Amino acid sequence: MPDPTPMEIPMTQVACTVNGETFTRDVPVDMPLLEFLRDVLGLTGTKGACLEGECGSCTVLVDGETINSCLMLAAQVNERNITTIEGLAAGSELDVIQDSFVATGAAQCGYCTPGLIMSARALLNDQPEISESDLLTAMEGNICRCTGYASIIEAVKRAHRESQSA
Amino acid sequence: MFHQPTTFEQALELRRALGTDATVINGGTDVVVAMNHGAIHPQCFLDVSRIRSLRKVERQNGHVVMGAGVTFSELGKMHFRALREASLSVGGPAIRNMGTIGGNIATASPAGDGCVALLAMNAEVQLASKARGDRWMPLVDYFIDYRKTALADDELIHAVRVPHNPRSRWYKIGKRGAVNISLVCCAISQNENKKTELAFGCVGPIPKITPKASALLAGEELTPELINDAANLVTHEVSPIDDQRGTATYRRAMCGTLTKRLLTQLMKDDAKGDADA
Amino acid sequence: MIQHVKTTESNQALDAPIAPADHLVGKSCRRIDGKEKVTGTALYGADLFPNSAELFASVVRSEHAHANITAIDAKQALEVAGVLGVYTHADVGGTNIHGLIRRDHPALASKRVRYLGDAIAVVVAKTERAAKLGRDKVKVTYETLPVIATMEQAIAEGATKLYPEGNVMGDKRIRKGDVDRALANSHVVVSDTFFTQTVDHAFLDIEAGTGHWDGQTLTLYVAGQWVHEERRLIALALGLPVEQIRIIQPVTGGAFGGREDISIQIYLGVAALKHQGKTIALRYTRSESMRVRHKRHALKIQSTFGAKADGTLTAAKIVVHSDEGAYASTGIAVMRKAASHATGPYRVPNVEVDVYGVHTNNNPTGAMRGFGACQMAIAYEGMMDRIANALKLGRETVRKKNLITSGDTVTTGQRINPVSVGHCLTKAIQKFNDQPYPGSDSLPAHIKRGWGMSAICFGLGYGDGFPDCSRARVELADNGTATVYTGGVEVGQGLLNAMMQIAGEELGLPFESMRIVAADTELTDESGSSSATRQTYFTGNAVRMAASELREQVLDIAGIKLKVHPHEITLQQGWAFESAKPDNRVRIERICTEGLTRGYSLKASALFKPRTIEEVPGTGQSPRAFITYLFGAHVSQVLVNTETGEVKVERHIAAHDVGKAVNPQSVEGQIVGGVAQGLGMALMEEVTYKNGRIMNPGLTDYIIPTIKDLPPVEAIIVEHDDPGGPFGAHGVGEPPLIGAVPAILSAIYDATGKAPCELPMNPERTWRLINDVRENDTLSKVF
Repeated sequence: MPDPTPMEIPMTQVACTVNGETFTRDVPVDMPLLEFLRDVLGLTGTKGACLEGECGSCTVLVDGETINSCLMLAAQVNERNITTIEGLAAGSELDVIQDSFVATGAAQCGYCTPGLIMSARALLNDQPEISESDLLTAMEGNICRCTGYASIIEAVKRAHRESQSA
Repeated sequence: MFHQPTTFEQALELRRALGTDATVINGGTDVVVAMNHGAIHPQCFLDVSRIRSLRKVERQNGHVVMGAGVTFSELGKMHFRALREASLSVGGPAIRNMGTIGGNIATASPAGDGCVALLAMNAEVQLASKARGDRWMPLVDYFIDYRKTALADDELIHAVRVPHNPRSRWYKIGKRGAVNISLVCCAISQNENKKTELAFGCVGPIPKITPKASALLAGEELTPELINDAANLVTHEVSPIDDQRGTATYRRAMCGTLTKRLLTQLMKDDAKGDADA
Repeated sequence: MIQHVKTTESNQALDAPIAPADHLVGKSCRRIDGKEKVTGTALYGADLFPNSAELFASVVRSEHAHANITAIDAKQALEVAGVLGVYTHADVGGTNIHGLIRRDHPALASKRVRYLGDAIAVVVAKTERAAKLGRDKVKVTYETLPVIATMEQAIAEGATKLYPEGNVMGDKRIRKGDVDRALANSHVVVSDTFFTQTVDHAFLDIEAGTGHWDGQTLTLYVAGQWVHEERRLIALALGLPVEQIRIIQPVTGGAFGGREDISIQIYLGVAALKHQGKTIALRYTRSESMRVRHKRHALKIQSTFGAKADGTLTAAKIVVHSDEGAYASTGIAVMRKAASHATGPYRVPNVEVDVYGVHTNNNPTGAMRGFGACQMAIAYEGMMDRIANALKLGRETVRKKNLITSGDTVTTGQRINPVSVGHCLTKAIQKFNDQPYPGSDSLPAHIKRGWGMSAICFGLGYGDGFPDCSRARVELADNGTATVYTGGVEVGQGLLNAMMQIAGEELGLPFESMRIVAADTELTDESGSSSATRQTYFTGNAVRMAASELREQVLDIAGIKLKVHPHEITLQQGWAFESAKPDNRVRIERICTEGLTRGYSLKASALFKPRTIEEVPGTGQSPRAFITYLFGAHVSQVLVNTETGEVKVERHIAAHDVGKAVNPQSVEGQIVGGVAQGLGMALMEEVTYKNGRIMNPGLTDYIIPTIKDLPPVEAIIVEHDDPGGPFGAHGVGEPPLIGAVPAILSAIYDATGKAPCELPMNPERTWRLINDVRENDTLSKVF
């Protein structure tokens, strides 16, 4: 039998920057970052789907690196800089990756889409040149159940092309 | 409570004071999974992710010393082939950005890819406590039984070291093209004196080495016959079980198959005079 | 509910030339829901919580796969701080039973539990944490019963019965000709037994939603696949009049059949009715979702096929046992589909099919992409390869010799026209031959390459006399925009765009003028289920019919404005103009304003209800078992590591006749996505049970394909107008998965020389196949 769920969980204070905005909140020490983003900050663009690091739906950037927000505690991001899907578009103008996902039909049910876009963002931030294998490795931790990935690969390539020519 | 020390000294002090009341966490890729499954409900954490010294990789006396907080992403850039490939086979990029070698050793899963690679490379692990200071021990002695290790309640994993530049190889059998938990994995290494070490994952309660096969191979030139004999020996040394991922029969056979395949690669590279890539 | 109603005034200059005709049917218009999905603003079930959840619910599940309940004690749970109530069967006002075909599944079990997912109580608390803590404190006492873990146990003499009438849920038969005699006279007879596995839908958007009761209306925001039918089932179970329930579908992250059975709706209803005025929220974890939801049927298929020396099929004798799990779900429909697709797209004069549905204490099994047809394709395509091998004939030759052509009949006796399966196969193989086949010569000795093919068919819809229908409404507003209202649910497949494009095409409007409101029982009419590949055909037809009526109104009004006969008017790009004199023209906005002034409704509603004819019991024959048939063919190329059993799909070609691709990008997405799920089913996916308990309820051990598992899938869209479909379209959802699995197995057979018959062909199974190692063999046999 698992341990009984404790009723009272100690709280701790988290001060972090999310999409350029600073937040200070008291959170339970055991709260995953995913829950903090969604339920505390109301940023529901980041999705949860497996809660064990296998699907990548919850991918966000912490200090520029992709992480699975279902497996990081909110308390761990104190003083760190987080970017979520809500932080990509500038006003009504889509990020080039977002635009490409729409253009190629890479968002079908759309549930994996925010996580995939964050993985693609990290890839494009890091590397001016990307090979096919870089691309596949960068996205290997993001499960999509609908598309069979072809339109996703096309979207990332298109975004890469467009940002190179920009 | 949430403790987030910035030095290893502070961490050891907290560990002394809190013992097992505090759950040690770094990348969270094992701890938070267990929490999300409701298997554990920690209320006090010792977060070692802000200790910069734990993220260092350095050369010391013919060894490469890796801090316990080095991530799989970092290990994926290492020179040692088995460790590099094992690390890159862990999860996806986000998991590799989070998961650490210290965490892999602490969890001590029989499927711990990092542990298997390190075992084959004759790694030693450094355990530290406030009361007794640091101690180095061979990683092979660290694993005691299923998820049971030599780590004392007041100790933290400080670092792990491997002899410099052994030749090594890695293969992991999984059910798909990426993000696999291994059905079986195998790492081998060979040093200048032709001392060969083999290690396997998912073939018993702990990551496993095969001393008899290593003894057979010690100092010998690799030949197809010798490789066959070693592979045969390996299948008798491992003790896999049936579980929902695969059967003992398959795993046992694969230990032999992978032994043969990886040793044959080394043999062929010898013939070509290739150095380790 | 999906609502894309924006009022944007047309800013088109009135003196600008009319843009060339832009046919929306056949155009890859950008998905209307694309922007909200890529920005994270689309609201899925759990995304509603931060703004609306006031109380949280959690569900108490059975601790045994088979038991009688002797007592339920909520005392300790109610003592947990924050817990407001624990509700059991005694609190449910209606029948407390649901089930899509048979009403047999208790919402909250009272006396008996038949699988580990059976719900016993709903706990409501102020926080989710308290609700879960309360759930763990509800004490249920049981009197355990023997667990029926396998079909063999279920049909064994003296087996414990799950139901008074026994463990066989039902049967379905086809009888045509004289099979025994035909087999006796065949040049070759091949037999094999195929075992297909239990598969989980594994849509990513875990069940989550909210419920609210205001004393008048119970409003549920929960994703399903047929909101109107779900409303009826919930009403029955809860004892509420149907009209007092409103279901609104949130944005939905995949379904694949996995949302057809009732999930959290009734639990939310029970909780909401007890807490008037409060919004109740409930979400599963992945593990809970996998442990409680229905699955794809695991089938045991015993096939015997006979053929002449030239490969002509003579007879097929097929016995199927289907693991129905604990409750009926849509099992009857799956059994019917399995029987009617037992010989696929092949001409077989003598056929005998017996399908038995067997109850076990495993999860109920029901709808999943390809339901029944997909498992049977594995068997009939496996038989084609075995016959080719036995007769030393080419695999394509044997198939081509027996594939039905236009005017031929399928197993059920239904005559099909047009039939394009041969064309699809030719196309797929031509594409395959575009690149030289590299063979295995350049590979290391332990790696073998192989390629294989499949040809499949799929009877669209439920068929078999089921009174299936769709209704749709289309309205024009005086700003010249048209809104489509459909009860159909968008689950990712592209339904919204398809319906908007069909209506826009009919009305001569640009895509930008189209709006849609979908899946809200209050605002939309019944459009049936988003399943069985039926929405494009059914709702597409209803939308077209409604739009067509509206078009007549528009032409009438335009005739008045342009002073010409309506037959002489063209509708194009938001303009109506005299076909012969395009300068004589008027904007759609003007027409709408004029029409409303003159008393036109500018609204039209239509019902599409094609009839199917029930199959004759005993023989399974029917002149029209299904509305129409879809065809496809695949070619797959694999690499097999013969030492480890690892299989890598290198190339995959999928050709599908979709009638007409309404949105080619969506169609391609369905084809490639279907191949991906087929690849998962062929090589890795498997729900494993131990005595009724799922051993891998999570994505760590339920393995689905990653981006590295898919080759660049080559999708070929074949278009032969379906005479009954809207603009010739018929649909594409399920066939790509059905075709993918047998093609991959065929390639493995080619690479290894051994014929696979168990799924999935994961490394261990492939290794066992190659080395002929059975479960209990000792190692000495191979080492």
